[in-house]
Formats: sequence, C-alpha cells, structure tokens
Amino acid sequence: MTRADYFVLAGALLLLPWLYASYWHRGGVGEEVRIVGADGREILASLRKDREIRIEGPLGTSVIEIHDGKARFVSSPCHGQLCVHAGWLHLGGEFTACLPNRVSLAVVGPELRYDTINF
Amino acid sequence: MRNDTGAHTLSFTATREDYRIAWLAALAITIHIAESMLPSPLPGIKPGLANVVTIAALLLYGWRAAVWVSLLRVVVGSLLIGTFLTPTFVLSFSGALASLAVIGLGSLLPGRGLGPVGYCLLASMAHIAAQFYVAYRLFIPHEALFGLLPVLMTAGVGFGLASGLLVRAMMAHFKSDAGPGAPTA
Amino acid sequence: MKRPSVACALVSGLLLALAGCGGHKPEVYKTQLMTLGTIVDISLWDVDEARAQQAVKAVEDVLNGIHVHWHAWEPGPPGQPNLTDLNARLAAGETATVGAEDVAVLRRTQELARAGDQLFNPAIGRLIELWGFHSDDPPLGPPPAPEEIRRLVEAHPTMDDLVIEDDRVSSRNPQVQLDVGGSAKGYAVDRAIDALRALGIDNAIVNAGGGLHAIGAHGDRPWRVGIRNPAQPGIIASLEMRADESVHTSGNYERFFDYQGKRYHHILDPRTGYPAEGVLSVTVVTPDGTLADAADDALFIAGVSGWKEIARRMGVTQVMLIDADMTVHMTPQMAERLRMEIDPPPKIVVEALE
Repeated sequence: MTRADYFVLAGALLLLPWLYASYWHRGGVGEEVRIVGADGREILASLRKDREIRIEGPLGTSVIEIHDGKARFVSSPCHGQLCVHAGWLHLGGEFTACLPNRVSLAVVGPELRYDTINF
Repeated sequence: MRNDTGAHTLSFTATREDYRIAWLAALAITIHIAESMLPSPLPGIKPGLANVVTIAALLLYGWRAAVWVSLLRVVVGSLLIGTFLTPTFVLSFSGALASLAVIGLGSLLPGRGLGPVGYCLLASMAHIAAQFYVAYRLFIPHEALFGLLPVLMTAGVGFGLASGLLVRAMMAHFKSDAGPGAPTA
Repeated sequence: MKRPSVACALVSGLLLALAGCGGHKPEVYKTQLMTLGTIVDISLWDVDEARAQQAVKAVEDVLNGIHVHWHAWEPGPPGQPNLTDLNARLAAGETATVGAEDVAVLRRTQELARAGDQLFNPAIGRLIELWGFHSDDPPLGPPPAPEEIRRLVEAHPTMDDLVIEDDRVSSRNPQVQLDVGGSAKGYAVDRAIDALRALGIDNAIVNAGGGLHAIGAHGDRPWRVGIRNPAQPGIIASLEMRADESVHTSGNYERFFDYQGKRYHHILDPRTGYPAEGVLSVTVVTPDGTLADAADDALFIAGVSGWKEIARRMGVTQVMLIDADMTVHMTPQMAERLRMEIDPPPKIVVEALE
C-alpha cells in the first residue's frame, strides 16, 4: 500500500462515523407511511389502519401492505425485488423504494406531517 | 467484416490493446450480469466485483482502457439484462462515470500515487455517492433517502477495500508472470 | 511540475465534495412569540442561528408595533396615539390626524368592507365591546340584553361613514368605533413577511394562529400546513403551500363563551348583532393576507347560502367553508389542492363560484 492508499483509507474511515452521526436518525415508532409514486403523487396512510395500497409505476403495479402498525412491499414488478426483500418497516425514518418502478415507501413520525397548524 | 457480394472488404485493425480491452470487458460484463442475479441483503448494495476488472485495466493498461472496460460493461451488460435506459441503467452509468472521473484524477497524483486499494476505495465511494445523488435528484426526492446513505457508504467502503485487496493479489500474480509495466495515465 | 499540484488539488477537492455530499444539512429554525394577543409560530428554512435570531427580533418588532398601534381597547403609549385614541376622537365627533400608513390601512379596510357587502364590518367596535370581546380573556356571559344589541345594530355604523381627507379622519356616524380585529392579523403577518424578505430570508412561515403567510419552501418540498378541525381536536385537512401565499381561517372556536348550553362566539353578524350561525369555520387561501383575513370573516357571516356571492365580490377563489353539519363546502380551486386528513372523509360539496 502506498502513502496515498493509506490516506484514502483513513479518509474513508473518518467519513463513515460522520455520515452516521449526520444522517442515521431514527425516530420512534412511526405514525404513518408516505408513499410516493412515479408521477410524484403522494399517499399518506395511517399505520393504525390495515389496508392494501396498489400504486402504478412505469413497470406495472406495486402492492404495499399496511398491517399491525407496519408497512411493506408485498410485490413489485421490478427485476431485483429489493423493495420486497426489505420486509416490514415500522420506525419513523425507515425507508425503502422500488427504484425501477419509481415507488418509495417511508415511515414518518408525527413531527414531519405539518410545518405549522392554522387554527 | 465481409458483405455478401464480396466486392468490398471493410477491415478493422484490432490492436493488441483492443483485444485486451475486449477480454477485460467481457469478463466485467460476465461479473456484472452474475451480480445482478445475486440476491442482496439491503436495497442498493452490491459487491461491485466488476469494479475489480476496471481497476485492473487501469493499473495494467491505463485510464483509457479502464474507461472502455467500464462503459462497455455498463452498456452491454444492461442490454443483455434488459435494463438499458431504465433507472437501473442510469444509476449504473452515473456510478461508473463518477468512478472513472475519480480514478482518472487519482492517477494524476505525483510520486508513487495510488495503489489498488486506494483506487478501489475511491472508485467504490464515488460510485455510491453518484448513484445516491442521482437517485435522490431524479427518482426519489425523499428526505428519508438520506437515512440510507451511511449504510450504503459503509458497504461501499467495505466492498471497495475487499476488491482493492483482490486487485492487489491479482497484480502480484501478473507482476511475477509477465510484468506489464507501471501504470500510466 | 505544475500538473501534479493541480491534480492534487482536484483530488482533494473531489474527496471533500464526496465527504460533504450534503455536508451542511439544512434545517428548520422554529420559534414562538407571544404577541398580537396570540402565539405566533415562526418557521425559517436553512437560516443559521444568528441570522434567525435577528429575523425573529425583526418580526417581533413589526408585530408588537402593529399590535400596539391597532389595539382597539388600550390607548397607545404617551405621544403615540393608536386606534383606541382615534376611536375616542371619533366618538367625540372630532377630526383626528393620522399617519400616511394609517390612511392606507383605513382606505384598504373601507374597500374590503365594501367588497364584502359590509358583512366584514370593522366599524362595529361598540357591538364587539358590548359582547365583552374587548378583553384578552373571553367573556363569561350572559349575552347582552337584546334591546342594547338592537340599538347598536340600528345605528348601522359602517366603514363608509368614515371620512378620510388627506391625513384627517372623521366620522359621519358617532356610533362608528373601529375594531380591525378581523383583518389586522392578515396585515400584520404580511408586514412580518416583508421584514423577513428585507433581511434576505426567502423561505419562511409566520403563523399567528388563525392566519399565516408562507414564502418559499421547506427545502425540496413545499411547506405543509395543517388546518384545524373545527368540531374536535386535530387536523381536518392539509395544504402544500405555493411560493407566496396566505392561509386564514376564522372559526367559532377561537373566542367564545358558552352560556346556558348555547355557544356565543366572536364573529358577530352586523345585520343581527348576534354571532353568525350555521358555520363552524371558513378558510381562505390567497397571496394577500389582509384580503384573506377580511374575507374569512365576511364569508363566515354570509353563511352557507351567501358565501359564494361574497367570495366572488371580494375576488377570492380558494375557499373552504365547514357548516354546522360538518359538510365541507369548497371551491374547485380549493378542492384540487386540499387534502382531507380525517377518516372517514366528511361530506364534501364542491361549488364553483360562477
């Protein structure tokens, strides 16, 4: 290994803790899920109510299930099925997506819902 | 290449380097396709073994060769898998471009410069960073995506380090075998 | 020799860019102020602490200034006559001299009252006082005697009784007492936003409870505003704000008293002298906060049968009116962007203004 190699390795190892400190925020148990489809349309669904949501993307229909305070991709017409393998999400900030079908699923806590309340 | 009438002959002169690049690209494409069929424990994480071939090409034949190998892999690989011009392709392509840019700059370093480990780490991290940025900008402009960044980068560093050690072992083998000379830009 | 050093700089720059991929993470700066007789909620996007504090101070100064200057039942500090002092002069049949900005505000208020068919009527200060709403705490009841209410209604004070000549203000009707509670919040919030813009802040919300003004966005996404459910705690609907907009809501839950099982709230119908009936809340969205604030009261008073006519007259197109049966009446322009947040959704009637 050259000196430059060690320098790069050290940089990488310093970068990681910093990334975790900056972005690894996990909220408490989530309140609802925000689903964003290919056309940018958003669906916000409560985690307290069991239901199945079908959302159309460029490849076909992605099916998302909400059950017992958790949400997951049941199926998606993508090649990798990564979103399906991600399994159940239930914590605020948890996130998965079917990139090929352009559908994302994120659990949000109540604090993200509104920036302010008009009353 | 001959046409049916046989009246004209169109010939390419394939240099030794062309053959090498073709071989390396073929190897990279094979790895690329094999990896795409592998199940992944987490979305967006792949070992990036094809990267090994790119870095080997860089060290053996220089940056231009690495560019050819990498771009051929992404384009031909996606044509074969059937993801050409899909989001998957856009992500692969942007990752490859960023990797090439970073290792190209890295190869300009003075002195002994970077070795296999340094190149692989840089390439892998640039790959992740570019893919992440493109995914965030083009496909999923969702703040929660940032929650994945540390995990993705950890995997990037881990696999980058592993493939770097692999390339180093390969290079040692080549050196004792043929000794193609020092890397040049 | 030159090339390597340039390369060095490029590589280290790229590493830094990699490390700093979103390096400084923008955030919302949020704070609350007690002014305008309510809690004012301020949200600033991606502003550092020092500038944010400076901005909040500027907003506080603007709002406090307007609160004191347009206060309807507390005289201004010595040497700074305010609305209460102006009212005293008007009651005495005198002519008062006011500042240029006051003239502009009073003229605008006259126009809005006219556009609102005098349902938005800031000249009924006496009636509001009679009901006991000239107090920071809601009154306890009982409601005033009917004959006293009738006497004030029959005096028929309106903004058109006000005579404004250059900087001199007088009234043709001695019963005129100004109370700009129906539109001052909109005016104040808009001025607060102006103050933020003057400081170079382009992404913010100033929310004085029933009325807010939003500019810019929350980073990559729009600002999100929840609208209170008038019938129970919680949110009934939400809006994603466009770049420069005001949202004003008038509700029967804001200031009220219950007396012998009946709810008496602060939005008084100038035609009857009693709290307007049949409506729980009205929300108006439009860039101009003063207009939105005046319109929500006028539409509330106009009620289920009259709101569309008044909306048309006042030039507001994005309206949501929730009636006493929890039926939600909306213009198509409101319906296309408003998202219902209660499950099951309420009965919704979309009604075009034309």
